[in-house]
Parts: sequence; structure tokens; C-alpha cells
Amino acid sequence: MAHIDVAVTGVGYSKHVSKRRDVNIAELVWEAVSNCYEDAGLKPKDIDAVVTGNMPAFEGVNMPELWGAGHWGAYHKPLIRITTGGTTGGSVAHAAYYAVASGLYDTVLAIAFEKQSDGNSTMGLNTVALADAAAQFQQGVDPGFLASFGGGAVGIAVYQAASYMKRSGCTTHHLDKVSALCRNNAALNPWSHLKQPGLTPEDVAKTVLMQYPIRFGHVCPATDGACAMILTTHEKALKLQNKPAYILSCASCSDEAALMGISGSGTTNMDPCAQEHCKLAAKWAYELAGIKDPRREIDVAEPYAPFAHQMLMFYERLLLCEEGEAPAILDSGSMNLDGELPVCPSGGVISTNAIGASAMERITEVALQIMGKAGERQVKKEVHKGVAHGWGGAVNLNVVAVLSDTPRRS
Amino acid sequence: MAEMEYKKETRSVEGSWPMEHWSWKFESIALISKTREAFKEKKLLGLKCPGCGLVYFPPKPYCRCMSEPDEWVEVKQQGTITTYTFTGAWAYEGIKEEEGPAGEPLIIVGVNFDGSDTLTVCTLGEAKPEEVFVGMRVQLKWPENIEGRLDDIAHVVPLRE
Amino acid sequence: MRREVAIISYAQTPYEADANASREMQVLKVAREALQAAGLKQEDRYTVVTANNDYLDGRTISNMRLVEPAGAWMKNESKAEMDGAYAALYGLWRILSGDHDVALIIGESQASVYARWLPGIMMFDPTFDRQRWLLNEASAAALQARAYMNAFGISGEQVAGVAAKNLDNASLNPLAHNKLAGADAAKVLGSRMLYDPLTEMMMAPYCDGACAMVIAAGELAEKAERPVWIRGVGFAHDSYLTERTLKEMNSLRLAAEKAYAMAGISDPSSQVDLAEVHENFAHEELMAYEALGFCGKGEGGAFFDSGVTRRDGKLPVNVSGGATGANVVCATGLARIIEAAMQIRGDAEGRQVAGVKTAVATGQTGPCAQESVVFVLGGE
Repeated sequence: MAHIDVAVTGVGYSKHVSKRRDVNIAELVWEAVSNCYEDAGLKPKDIDAVVTGNMPAFEGVNMPELWGAGHWGAYHKPLIRITTGGTTGGSVAHAAYYAVASGLYDTVLAIAFEKQSDGNSTMGLNTVALADAAAQFQQGVDPGFLASFGGGAVGIAVYQAASYMKRSGCTTHHLDKVSALCRNNAALNPWSHLKQPGLTPEDVAKTVLMQYPIRFGHVCPATDGACAMILTTHEKALKLQNKPAYILSCASCSDEAALMGISGSGTTNMDPCAQEHCKLAAKWAYELAGIKDPRREIDVAEPYAPFAHQMLMFYERLLLCEEGEAPAILDSGSMNLDGELPVCPSGGVISTNAIGASAMERITEVALQIMGKAGERQVKKEVHKGVAHGWGGAVNLNVVAVLSDTPRRS
Repeated sequence: MAEMEYKKETRSVEGSWPMEHWSWKFESIALISKTREAFKEKKLLGLKCPGCGLVYFPPKPYCRCMSEPDEWVEVKQQGTITTYTFTGAWAYEGIKEEEGPAGEPLIIVGVNFDGSDTLTVCTLGEAKPEEVFVGMRVQLKWPENIEGRLDDIAHVVPLRE
Repeated sequence: MRREVAIISYAQTPYEADANASREMQVLKVAREALQAAGLKQEDRYTVVTANNDYLDGRTISNMRLVEPAGAWMKNESKAEMDGAYAALYGLWRILSGDHDVALIIGESQASVYARWLPGIMMFDPTFDRQRWLLNEASAAALQARAYMNAFGISGEQVAGVAAKNLDNASLNPLAHNKLAGADAAKVLGSRMLYDPLTEMMMAPYCDGACAMVIAAGELAEKAERPVWIRGVGFAHDSYLTERTLKEMNSLRLAAEKAYAMAGISDPSSQVDLAEVHENFAHEELMAYEALGFCGKGEGGAFFDSGVTRRDGKLPVNVSGGATGANVVCATGLARIIEAAMQIRGDAEGRQVAGVKTAVATGQTGPCAQESVVFVLGGE
């Protein structure tokens, strides 16, 4: 059976800032969607199906597309809602990829967003663990102790960072360098949230220690923002533009939740930095994409890294080098915009994190690099293939997509 | 596409997500209560999976291989640190940029007790933050009054062999 | 469709008001049973799509804790935050793409865990409707029922008759939770008034449960015993309830048109042998008859009166008892697909309808059937 090639033919972002009090969810999303229609040269009538998602706890609304999607061009169209936490944007894009690849829908609009300022993000994150925390209180766990070890993804990241540093030889200076690299890249990206041109590792090292080894400067901001992309078949894409980017493959992989099993049981996901499932997802995605040697064939990477160490850790887990090599590769300058394998040219999640949208923005940013439409943040080298990643849950969910300037069949 | 016109002013509308309205069910609590009872005899009871042999401590009613762990086994009170952190300004209050580290840092570690295949989160005592490392051997330190709470196993100290 | 995809196994928990099991254990049981019936083990290659909702489960990223019970450990897994029939739809896409051959589909929730009134309210527009506390799932359904009944002269007895039929049908379904043998319209109309014109017995009461289904293409489908083939599928989103007519179920009509076209069905009332319809309230089943093309617009009441949709009729609808018999939000539509597949396979012990070759199953999400999905299934 011939594979149906899936092309990215339009990308749109809303403005990304910490608080968008001038628009509601539907209007914020519309900014991204209307920009996407414009970029693709398409109208809502050209869309065959819509895939949407966000992280519902953050805004305190259940299924906002019920009252929002009519304003995004979904009127009387097929629509599906996909949500998987931090990986939501990736999962939405993956579903849109499958919708086109299934042969059932030619042109699919994918929408992912988060309007964190509408809700309480700390509560949103804590609700990840609330059911299990409540069970632990009942069984005699001091609430103060539980609070001190952190809520949701944020809390687990510090353990992951410590473990990763131990495993890889990554130092706190490397973390500072990652932040500086990303925030400087973000300054070149008009859609990014936290722009800090000229930020140095030394500046980052002066920020307050939140929980070892993570300093304030190593952490993403909370962002209001939306992202949209239009996927279509190879044939239709060529009618719309000269150089579409193709999503060659998508894969996700799930592990048991880290740090805490159900209601205080033990969990077999013992080292949050191992991320064996990320390696598996990457392996599956590369296999489907026909990539034999990702280190040579991948030209640009957008790992999902809301915390500084994750850019290095996921670089390794995406099989772009051996374990423990990423810090030295960072030092070599290879990850810079003008490097051999630029990483997070967009500025990454550490600069912009509208949670539900973030994993899709990894994909759209790689697509823009391939299409040569990344503006000032366009990497210096020629880009043929790139990898886009998403991470979430209790560090137990990973999504990986491989993009290319040529379709899978050739 | 025509530019939408947005008003410059908006009104915030307050609402809440009333969290108290869920009442979750867990088989695991019944299993863990047996383990908590055993604390009073200074024993750590884990549950072994008949499918793949993994030992869950504290016990868990289902395994990742889709079997149901059903054999009680004793887990050792020594273990290995698999991951760690220590608290800074973040602890308790969420993110506060202005504050420096709050008081004496609390060292929090993931411990894999010997004879089990899982991680339990504990605090590490009798050690300084700079002394902790992944792979460090630790020993459970029981509280003076063991009450059969999960907190009874919340504290480890470096193993001195 | 580019590939022939079949339902090769399924499993359901009994549906109960307050199950003596966590959602994790319920999911584990159905996932394991469905995999076993398909001849699969956890270590085999398959993809998993679950349907659940963070507000119902009371946890952000509600699929995060379902990885091991859902058989998704080290698997390619995702989640549709809608009815389980949408998870089936997504699983179907994954197989049709050629990247996967087998998908395990799971739907679950436990009404005994969440506050029944709350998640429904959380889905209304937060800046206006939620502030006024007038709309909830039942009051919205009542507005829809009234609009529909007024427009087409549908009587309360006809709506009540649907509920009575489904309650009676459910009495033959050992898994159903809400059942009453010999129920009649008078009894339904005499039950407690919910929101006029809907009485309590017209509502599909939320309950606990989980169901799972394995769909496959290629070798596994070909060698499966009595596979049930997915012949057509369609889904559609309609406007928010205050921005559309409530007297017609347009999302279902649009979804059905697409599914029928794919399945080569031009005259549903003669080509479809049986339907399992997701009706959250009794009047929705009458509206579904029309949207599914079983009868003309506004003729749902008369169509019901003719007896065609009774279990001994020419086109039985909800022989399982439908959502009235068991309504597990995020699983109800998937259970409709499973029930329809059971009828085609001849597995519907005690309620088996003879000679079912082609069946239709529907799922819905959102107030007043705002979003609908339709599956057309066929035997050999």
C-alpha cells in the first residue's frame, strides 16, 4: 500500500505573551488560525477536517472548542479533540498527520493553544498529581513534604536534571549556556515570548536557585499563545507552494509515570532522565521515515525543553549522539544557529511555553526551517530533514515527528 | 482575510474549578495499608508480579505487563539513590523570583530499596547537599514512634558499611 | 477506504452505578480481555488510543495514569478527549495510514468519582453561560427536546416510549445498569420531572465502566474469526447550542452522509439491519432516526410508533438498551460500536437479532449532540 505523503502547507501563530487580557480563548486561537489560512492561501471552505487540543486544567474550561471552534472555520466540519498534557500539540499534529495519511481527508487544520493567564497554572500542574496526593495524605504523608518535592512536571524536572548531570557530566554551567543560547535565539523570533538578546551564561548563573540544580533562568515562562498548521497531501501542497515541508513520520511512546506510582505505590520508572521511551519513539519515527543515521541525516532539532538540561538530555534521547555527549557538543558550538546541527533555533520551549501549543510549535518551527521561511532565526546550513519532539505527563509521554523537504516515497 | 477589530478593554470573569468534588477509588490503598501495618514490625512488604517478576514497593495492584502482582515479598531496608534534588526558593510556595533559598535545604531522593524494582521518594538526612549522588547507598531510618503511616519510610540516611 | 479494517475483539465491564473497582482496574480488565481475545500479548506491536476526560477523571492528563492498565507501556499511545467512538475513529486513521496494523481502543469513566453535575457545566461558555448557572446537560437537552417536539408535533408519549423501549431492551442485557422489563410510556412520564419536558427516566444516567476493542488490518484481520468490517465512517462538529437550530441533529446527519457514501448505502432504512444510537436523552433517539435517514425530517415520532425500531421490528434500534441502559461518558459511543459488532457476529446472547449484516453505531460529544460520529459496520 502506497504511503500518502503529508505536507505542511501553512503555519500560523498568535502573539505569545504572558497575559493576553485583550482576547478570550476563541479570539486568541483565531489569531493563529487566520495567520495560518493566510500563510497557506486557503480559506475555511478548503478545510476537510479539524484537529484541536489544549490542556484543559489550565483554563478551567472543559472542551473549549465547543463554543470556540465555530469561530475557527470548523462550522459543520469534522472535528476531533486530542489532549495528552504537555505533548498535546504534538499529539494534535500527529492526529492531523494520520487524518491525511488515512486517505479520508485531504486538507486538515491542526490547532493547539494554551491561555495560561485565564487559569492558575500552578494549580493546573498540581492537578496532575492531586488524586494521588490526596490518597497519600490519607495514608499518612505530610502535605508539606509532598509540596516540597514539587507538583506535576515542574517538580519532577529537578530530579531529572540532577540525574542527567550525574549521568552525562553536564555541569550547571552547561545549563546556563543552554538558557543563553535559547533566549538569544528567541530574540530573533518575532513569535517568541521571552526575548533576552545578549543574555550570557553568567547572567543566568546569577538568577535565584529554585530547587537544585534548577535556577530561575533555567525555566520556561508561562505563556498565552496559539499555533495552527494546515496539512495536506503532496499533490495539493505542490499546487499551493513550491517548497512544502513533509511530515515523514510520527511516533509516540509512553512509560509508567515517574516518581510516584498510583496513590503512593512504587513506580518502575526509576530514573526520570533515562527516557527509554523517548529513544523508542525516536527509533520508530526514524524507521518509518527511512532514516538510518539520524546523526548525519538530521539537520535541525527542536527538542521540547522547558528546562535547560532537557535540551541536552533530549538531544541524546533523540539519538542525535551517544549518551553523555551532548554537553561537549554544546561546548563545540554545533548547536548554535550557525552550527552543524542547530538546536532550538526558535528559542525553544524555555523561551515560550503556551503548554498545549508548545509541542506543535516544535513541528511548525522545523517545517519553517525546511521551507526556508524562518526569517532571522533561519539556520545557516541547508536544511533537508529535522526532528521535532514533545514531552509531558509525569515525564512519561514522548512524541517525535520527522520532517523533510522531500516526501517519504522518493 | 479581513482584520478583526478587537476592543482595547476587556473584563475578567471569575470562576473556579471546584476540586473537592472528586472521590477517587484505589485498590492500591488497601494493598498499601497492609504494607503500612508491617512497618510496625519494621518490615517492608512489596508485591511481586507473577507475569514478569517485578517487585513493587509500596505495592501496586497492576503491573506494566498487564498482570496483577499477588505475592508478598520482603524488601530490604537498604537501597540506592536513583535521582535527587534539594529545595531552594521553590519549595512550598511555587515560584517566587524575589526570594532567596528558604532555610536549610531539604534533600529529596528517589530510593530503590534492594529487592524491589521501584522508586520511592524519601528525604535524606545526615548528609549535606553536596554529598548526595545518584548511586549512593542509603539505609532506611525508622522514626521513634512507628504509626503505620507512609511517612514512616520517608527518611533515609547514608549507609555506613 | 484504502485498507480493509476489522473489529476483531472487544470487552466490556458490567456497567454499574458505583463499581467496586478503580478505573485503572476496570481498564486493565477490558484491555487484557480484548487483547487476549485478539490473540495479542502486551509485548506485541499495537497502538493504543484511549478516550477519557480530565474533568471526569479529576486529573490533568488523565491518560498519564492509564499507561500500564491500558496496555500502553512502551507503546505508541494517544488520547481523544471525547466519546470513545472518536478514539475508534482515530485508531482507524492510524491503521489506514499504513503506519500501524493493530489498534487497541479504550473508553472509560466513573460517574461515582466525579460530581455528576460539574463536568457538564464546565463545557459551557465560561464568560456568559457558566456565569448564569442556567445551562447544564439536562436543561440544555430539555431546550432541545422542546424545540424538536414543538417543531414537528412530537408528543411526550412518543419520547417516553423510546425510553420505555430502551429500558425494556436493557433488561435483556446482562451488562446494562439501568433496566426495567415491561417499562411503558406512562411509567416514564410519571417519573420525577427533570427539566420539562424531560423526566428522570428519559435521561441516560451516568455510571461506571470501561470498554475496549481491537481493530486491525492485514494478516490479523484476515485470519480473525468472524471479523466485523468497518465499511464507513463520518464525523461532524456543529455550532455551540445557542448558535444553531436545536430541532435537528445536523452533526449526526452530516456524519451519517459521509459514512453512508463510504459504505455505499443510499437507502439506509432498507440497507441497515440494526442501529445502536448514542442517546443521552430519549428524544435524541427520535432525532437520530431522522438524522440517520431512517425516516424523513419530523417523522421520528411516527416512525417510532410504527414499531420498526423495536427489537422485533425491521430496523431495531438500541437492542442493548442504548445509553439509557448504561451511560459511561467517554465510553458510551464505543459501547454502541461494540454492541453493533456483537449483533453482526452473533455474540449478543439473549438479545440477538437474527440476520444482522449491516449495522450503524453512533457516538456523540458536547451538549445537545453537538458533535457526532457514525460507524457503518458489516459482516462477511
